[in-house]
Amino acid sequence: MSVWNPDNITDVAESVGIHSLPKDVVDHLARDVEYRIAQVLEEALKFMRKGKRVTLGTQDISHALRLLDVEPLYGYESTRPLRFGEASLGGMERLFYVEDEEVEFEKLVNSALPKVPREMSFTAHWLAVEGVQPSIPQNPMTNADGRSQDQRSQDLIPKTSSSTSDGLSVKPAVKHVLSKELQLYFERICAAILDDTVPNHSDLRNAAYASVRSDTGLSQLVPYFMHFISDKITHSLRSLTVLTHVLQLVAALLDNPFLDLAPYVPSMIPAVLTCLIGRNLGTPADGMAHFALRNLASSILLRLLRKFGNKAKSLRPRAAKSAVKAWLDPSKPFGSHYGAVLALTSIAGTDGVRSLIVPNLDVYDGILREGLADDSRREHAEAVVAAIMKALQTLEEDGSGSHGANGLPDGQALRQKLVDAVGEVIGNRVFETGGSALIAAVLEKDLFA
Amino acid sequence: MAAQPPPPSRTGSVGPASAGGMGTPTAGTPGSQGSGSNQNLNQIVLEYLSKKGYSRTEAMLKRESGSVAFDANGTPLAFADRHKGRRWHEAYNVVKAWVDSILDIYKPELSRILWPLFVHCFIETIADCYPTDGRVFFQECRKTFDEEHSDDLRALSAIQEPEHVQQNDIAQLYRTNKYRLTLSKMGFATLIEFLETKESEGGKSMSFLINNHLDIHTVDRAAIGGARGLQRLMDEKRGDEQAPAEDEGIPGHHPGSANLDVGATGALHRLQLAPMPMEPDLMDDVKAELNHEDSTHPPRAGRSSLADQFEQRIKVEPSDDTAPSRETIPFPPSTARDVAMEVQKVKENRDRFRIEGKTGGVGPGVSVTMFTFHNTFDSVNCIEFSDDNTLAAIGTAESYIRVWSLDNRALTSPQDPPGFQPSSSRRLVGHSDPVYALSFSPSAAVPQPQTNGHTDHSTTPDSQPRYMLSCSADTTIRLWSLDTWTNLVVYRSHNSPVWDVRFCPHGHYFASASADRTARLWSTPQIAPLRIFAGHDSDVETLAWHPNGAYIFTGAGVGDKTVRMWSIAQGTQARIFTGHAGNITAIACAPSGHTVASADDKGVIILWDLRSGRLVKRMRGHGAGGVWSLDWSVESTVLVSGGADNSVRVWDVQPSNETQAKANGENGGPVKLDGTAANGTTVSKVAKAKGRDQATPDMISDFKTKKSPVYKVRFTQMNLVLAGGAYLP
Repeated sequence: MSVWNPDNITDVAESVGIHSLPKDVVDHLARDVEYRIAQVLEEALKFMRKGKRVTLGTQDISHALRLLDVEPLYGYESTRPLRFGEASLGGMERLFYVEDEEVEFEKLVNSALPKVPREMSFTAHWLAVEGVQPSIPQNPMTNADGRSQDQRSQDLIPKTSSSTSDGLSVKPAVKHVLSKELQLYFERICAAILDDTVPNHSDLRNAAYASVRSDTGLSQLVPYFMHFISDKITHSLRSLTVLTHVLQLVAALLDNPFLDLAPYVPSMIPAVLTCLIGRNLGTPADGMAHFALRNLASSILLRLLRKFGNKAKSLRPRAAKSAVKAWLDPSKPFGSHYGAVLALTSIAGTDGVRSLIVPNLDVYDGILREGLADDSRREHAEAVVAAIMKALQTLEEDGSGSHGANGLPDGQALRQKLVDAVGEVIGNRVFETGGSALIAAVLEKDLFA
Repeated sequence: MAAQPPPPSRTGSVGPASAGGMGTPTAGTPGSQGSGSNQNLNQIVLEYLSKKGYSRTEAMLKRESGSVAFDANGTPLAFADRHKGRRWHEAYNVVKAWVDSILDIYKPELSRILWPLFVHCFIETIADCYPTDGRVFFQECRKTFDEEHSDDLRALSAIQEPEHVQQNDIAQLYRTNKYRLTLSKMGFATLIEFLETKESEGGKSMSFLINNHLDIHTVDRAAIGGARGLQRLMDEKRGDEQAPAEDEGIPGHHPGSANLDVGATGALHRLQLAPMPMEPDLMDDVKAELNHEDSTHPPRAGRSSLADQFEQRIKVEPSDDTAPSRETIPFPPSTARDVAMEVQKVKENRDRFRIEGKTGGVGPGVSVTMFTFHNTFDSVNCIEFSDDNTLAAIGTAESYIRVWSLDNRALTSPQDPPGFQPSSSRRLVGHSDPVYALSFSPSAAVPQPQTNGHTDHSTTPDSQPRYMLSCSADTTIRLWSLDTWTNLVVYRSHNSPVWDVRFCPHGHYFASASADRTARLWSTPQIAPLRIFAGHDSDVETLAWHPNGAYIFTGAGVGDKTVRMWSIAQGTQARIFTGHAGNITAIACAPSGHTVASADDKGVIILWDLRSGRLVKRMRGHGAGGVWSLDWSVESTVLVSGGADNSVRVWDVQPSNETQAKANGENGGPVKLDGTAANGTTVSKVAKAKGRDQATPDMISDFKTKKSPVYKVRFTQMNLVLAGGAYLP
């Protein structure tokens, strides 16, 4: 009959003391109640509309009641949604009621104040410039389908009736689907690289590298390889073999002429740098083996930078910065220092050596001497000294030698000068190797200063 | 159901209608004595006729009364008895089936008759105390009208008891007014013929409804062509329009007139559409100032001097428009501020970005700056920008108003205590209910020195807006001072929430629109309204001023859905425009003063020509939820709209093709319309849209925002669009 349950009418009638209400009257009243409710809703909708909202609120209802000259319902002006409880009256009948929350006064007083809502503010942006909607973050990405390029000509030409301005369904970006073959290939390559259980394994591994180095259809796999590389390097810092194999994979990828790795360089650099200047690579039992890994990493870094350094301008400075930081950090082991020196050499070339290594040798001298004095670490320190010497050698090769030995003192005076300039250890070494060109190159700084 | 009284019968009064405008509603005689007394009466009359020798009349009466009174099981009474509560339902179904199966050339016009019949059948069923049957009928037959009449259907669906019929606004509207409809002569004749043949199956009931509640105008299809002619038919055939014709509906007016008398031929009021003449003193001052400006800052090459520009502006008045006189609408004497503002307007007008109409199929490129309000929690009701583009104000559901400076300038007040740090935003507190509209007093934008090199004027504080009006659900309108940021005046007179308030383009006066179904005119110094514009059949939801300040336009909501134009000086209705199917949500009059645009919450925008009072065209494209704001470019060539569907759209307002010539041919002056002729002249061929959600071809661009419904769009004097919206993630 009516949507409003006539039983409610009977209940209300009983609550005010009318016990026998004829059924006709009940039905009639139920229908009337329904009409009144519809009337209130009709008015409430008006308030919702004028409030430019799409949800009807309790406020709208109370405004509507006031407009209809009815006393509004108090106590429901809530910004949070009302919670309805449900009670069973036995049988199939159910009763719904608004749950009253019990609040402890003590708790309410002592609880922290609710967060202040954020201040209302406004921002301005161009929604359209001379009929074209600029693609800025403030504007929606309706043009994902490439319409943005030539939107003006799209939108300003008269639309024919068949034009599909609004009816156009935007296709979602194609989901990245990897073919079964590629998945299998990826799994095999990864297994081949890491698996050491198979006896003649190096053959298999070499085959894998060769494949990665030369196959054409791998571009889809690149993101997976990248993930694989960074994942393995972060989780296998203790295993030099894994690190080496993974770095070789990087090298193989770099070798592949069919891949465009430029977008992935930012994610490769940290991985390679980790292998280069990482604090603890491998286990202590590995001894000096990690220097080899660092050499490999350094060569890969050099290749990376040669290949992509021009495209990503901030690459070199950032890498150099972290290398210098690692080198001059006395808390780091010599292994890290070694890697850092290698990195600096390969990152910045002779200019780097000249401007980043030479000026800091003086400071580093203290650390070196300490290391050389300590028996357990001497070997490592020596390796660093060798690396530094190697770096200085590049200066020699680079230096045109035009400065010659002009104005350079002899003998002890020269040694003293070198020690002053680059510290005791390196100064002596340079003096001992004795190449005048090298000495000149090292002292170049002084000459210019 | 046993207790229900027998349905009243209306047998006695109904004869087959032969002409449209047949007499006034006649009361039905009670059913119990109806057939008996009728028979006697007929007998007497027949005797009288045969005695006098009126044989043809006698034969006619015999034929007619025969089916009414004597036929035992064919009378409407019997029909009603047979079907009881389903009587109207059956009758409606008969007509509906007939309309559905009729020839295609009559179908479009005759299908329009179904809606009023449906409403009345439903109301009659309920009034006859058959709530269940009424409900069944309603649910069964409402589908046809869901799209066009959703609001009315919602209001009607609540009706369940005869007393509701007495109280429901919509039901009363339909019962006390006649629904006007225009049919072709042939179409109407076929309908009547059909109803006669189906007399005993409900045709009688339908004839009764048509006679009593409908006001059907017949036109000769062959003679009119155009709107109701073949062209229209072809459009309809393509499944095109289901929109009410512009003369259809309850107010039932003659297109283009405000004359509501049934059967009256519309004589149009002569409108004064030219710009308001300037005060002679003010004009002299402005001229002097402009000449001074020209001499100190000679215009760049290729630009006209300001004085020339001004002359041009006041001379472009078309000769066929008269201007309202300053005597009928008095204004306070002008001040130095007015001079400065006029000068600024001339400057801006010269330096503006020109937007010409669509040329060669390419629309103008409009620039839009979007101001997005964040952290509003959907509490913003309206956004308003000041004319000088320095202030933005919002009215909130929390009853306060907040004003921001758009250039992040501190908003100072002389009343600030010493040491007070004024911020770039102010809160105005005073209302006790949600604020629904705001309006800044007129002001002129001061161009930034860096954009216009030739103006080195530092910001003249003079030209800033000094007052703001606000209206609220607490039935008051408040005037705020923007110097001290305090409330100056409270205007009380409306007795329902005030939905809209607008300053006159020249200041001093303002108009308000309220849920009490009136619009009122006020002047700022007086606390009582000067005029009350009554006539709308439901809430007046929005209003707009004519640019010369002599007229206002009001738009109403559910049930009424008309746009009306009122004369300020006379206080009378000058035009009425029907044709919207939804609540009117925004109105804007073109700066040229000849066209008005109105939009409804179904997303349709309609352009109306003021002089002829006719529909120019319908423009579709906005989604449902309402077009909340409209504005015109300075040249009146482009219309911009913003609404609930998170978009700002730009529209070409040129009337589509051939109708333009006709509209132009019909120049001003008191146009005499004699029904038929008028129907053919200016009704535009409505643009073809394949579906509801598809935009009509005159949409130039559509700029989507990011989850921000657009509350306000405004063209500046320089033709830049400002849009305001709230980000609702």
